[in-house]
Amino acid sequence: MSNNNKKPQLPKSVLEMKFMKKTKDRIEREIENTQGHDSLYSNIITSEMRSATGNYISEPSFIYCEDLLEGRLSFKGMNPEIERLMELKNQQNKQPSGEMDKDISDEILAKKMKAFNARKRQNITPSKYSVVKKKK
Amino acid sequence: MKVTIEDVVLPSDQCEEIVKAGESGRVILGPGLRKEIDGVFIVKAGVLKKRSPNTYWVESYQKRYVPSRSENVIGVVVQKAGDIFRVDIGGSCTASLSYLSFEGATKKNRPAVKIGDVVYGKMLNASKDMEPELVCVDSDGKKNYMGVLEDGFMFKCSLNLIRKILNPKCPLIASLKNEWPFEMAAGMNGRIWIKANSMRETIAVGNAILGSEYASNEEIKSMCNNIASILAGHNS
Repeated sequence: MSNNNKKPQLPKSVLEMKFMKKTKDRIEREIENTQGHDSLYSNIITSEMRSATGNYISEPSFIYCEDLLEGRLSFKGMNPEIERLMELKNQQNKQPSGEMDKDISDEILAKKMKAFNARKRQNITPSKYSVVKKKK
Repeated sequence: MKVTIEDVVLPSDQCEEIVKAGESGRVILGPGLRKEIDGVFIVKAGVLKKRSPNTYWVESYQKRYVPSRSENVIGVVVQKAGDIFRVDIGGSCTASLSYLSFEGATKKNRPAVKIGDVVYGKMLNASKDMEPELVCVDSDGKKNYMGVLEDGFMFKCSLNLIRKILNPKCPLIASLKNEWPFEMAAGMNGRIWIKANSMRETIAVGNAILGSEYASNEEIKSMCNNIASILAGHNS
């Protein structure tokens, strides 16, 4: 039965009693909320409106179309405060494109790994488990 | 009429390429383009531009500023009205700037802004039906480039020129920045404020900016060299 899943409800006769007024109001509000806004606006909202998420984004400003510089600039120490900000921004822009700092270069790592793998292969004698099974 | 990218376009023209792109993915329609029920229409006269992967707009000549959100602009304070300053930004109506939207400003500690001051701020709010709103702090409460511009010289130009000189490909700023000390603020509303150590240098920067409106990259470079050598001759 569907009633088994729901939490126990107070009988109507109890709710009608004077001291149960607050609880009655709360229960009524809960029922209203669970029925939701769907039914409330069902005559206004059409299925077209639900699926109408267009692919077009309208953007009234040029700053998102073109890749423009910051409009506030200072050169050769005219305004040290602005120049400091410009420097900070330049660093931020550079970091993601730059490669990460390495202690060991790629070439050395590749050489070492090759030597290591060669040594490893020598030590391990091929067993029947390492042989790749053929597909049926 | 059907048009393609980099064509000269007129209002009511249509571009099929944009519609095709819109069928497969997100498309950003910049200024001068409008989506109607039966296609994407051009609503400004100019050149249709595209930036990969999906941004389209019309590059058009314009001198009247239409406020739009999060653009940096230069304004002139024209009125103090209680809690706000009214700032002329060249749009159809003045923008409002709260006295609390300055760095370190509190109700007791008001910023020292006078009528006639030039401020560099960001558009916080710009809609068709409401007064635009300007702020001089970023979201962290730091002033970060913005605030009152002291001294210096402000002049107006077309909106295209601002975008041209702020384009990283434009050689103007690159060729001026090593010549003499100067400071500038360019607002997207077609106003530029410059400051240098002497009047002669200020005028030189101003002339270089205004002279580069219709010049090619090579012409801009040679003009800057020219100005720098003339200035060096006067100074020595």
